[in-house]
Amino acid sequence: MIYITIIIISCILGVILGINLPTISYTYSGYLAIAIVAALDSVFGGISSSLNKNFDIKIFVSGFFGNAILAMLLTYLGEKLNVDIYLAAVIVFVGRMFNNLGIIRRYYVDLWSKKAIEKNRQKVKKQN
Amino acid sequence: MIIYFLEKKCKEAINLKKQYLIIGILCFLIAMGISIQIKTVKSWNTSTSMQSTAENKLKDSIFKAKEKYENTYQELQDTLKQLEEVRSTVANSSSEAGKIEAQISEINKLLGYTEVKGKGIEIEVKDGTPEKMEGYEYNDEYVNYLSNYMVHDGDLKEIVNELFNAGAEAISINGERIVSTSSISCSGNIIKVNNEKLGSPYKIKAIGLPDNLYGALVRPGGYLESMEYAGVKINVEKKDNITVNKYTGVYSQEYINRVE
Repeated sequence: MIYITIIIISCILGVILGINLPTISYTYSGYLAIAIVAALDSVFGGISSSLNKNFDIKIFVSGFFGNAILAMLLTYLGEKLNVDIYLAAVIVFVGRMFNNLGIIRRYYVDLWSKKAIEKNRQKVKKQN
Repeated sequence: MIIYFLEKKCKEAINLKKQYLIIGILCFLIAMGISIQIKTVKSWNTSTSMQSTAENKLKDSIFKAKEKYENTYQELQDTLKQLEEVRSTVANSSSEAGKIEAQISEINKLLGYTEVKGKGIEIEVKDGTPEKMEGYEYNDEYVNYLSNYMVHDGDLKEIVNELFNAGAEAISINGERIVSTSSISCSGNIIKVNNEKLGSPYKIKAIGLPDNLYGALVRPGGYLESMEYAGVKINVEKKDNITVNKYTGVYSQEYINRVE
């Protein structure tokens, strides 16, 4: 419960601050966009690993910043070489996001169906 | 044994708190980043109805060039301010330099490189609103009919000419200073002055003796009268104090040489 409130409060704070901050220049907005995608990827990764009970805060934080910085560097390199390398980053990150979403979905569907089976069994037992 | 267990529990709790804090900070960062990004993208109001890579690249390069121009222009303004300061300090240090400084500022004033103010008149010419004519088809006649209601480059030329003829000393159209190398040309439904695109309404400011300028413009049978008759909306006002912007362009002198 605390977990969720902390997340919501910090999200709201972030949005408020972000709205009041000045806009960044157009040249750098591409870098910010790719960093956001990378960070979102780590968030989904973190959720799915916490469901699998092997969540490690160090790995999560290093992934959060490391991926974002790496993606930005790749975008920069791509701009210098005139290749849209950021597309590769986007594909990898979004692909992994869907993977992790799949894991999360499967976890909850399994949980739900197990509960349903349990209920059925209990019903059957009572009838017997 | 119990103490050990409690210690472990405590440590875990602290760790958990730390984790919550770190996760909260990360959420904060990501929310801030997303909202800034959305704001930035909105501020450049790119319509995403038609998307192709070539088009996007062009749009991108336009925005980048615009940004670069703005930055460079800001730099130029800062440098000019610095130059002004340096000049004023030099002028204060010796009388000879002061004289030269005065000369320079005089010449700049004449060239249009400084903002000037004084009494004069302000004219606003605006495209009229034609009444829709029933039964008209879209043909040459109709286009001509609409064209009468619009302000053309020729009109502005005529007005500027008239003003200079009446003794105007400084003229600007929508903030674009008219200098000796200025040009006024037609460019579709807008008018280019000093190669800057301007649109209706056109606000012409002229410094000079207001009565003379006013009389030259609104005299019976004058150019403004014929424009008004054609359907253009015109408003002329005498003003005691108007400021005319400075010329932001450059005088080119690649080919001119002084005759000794």
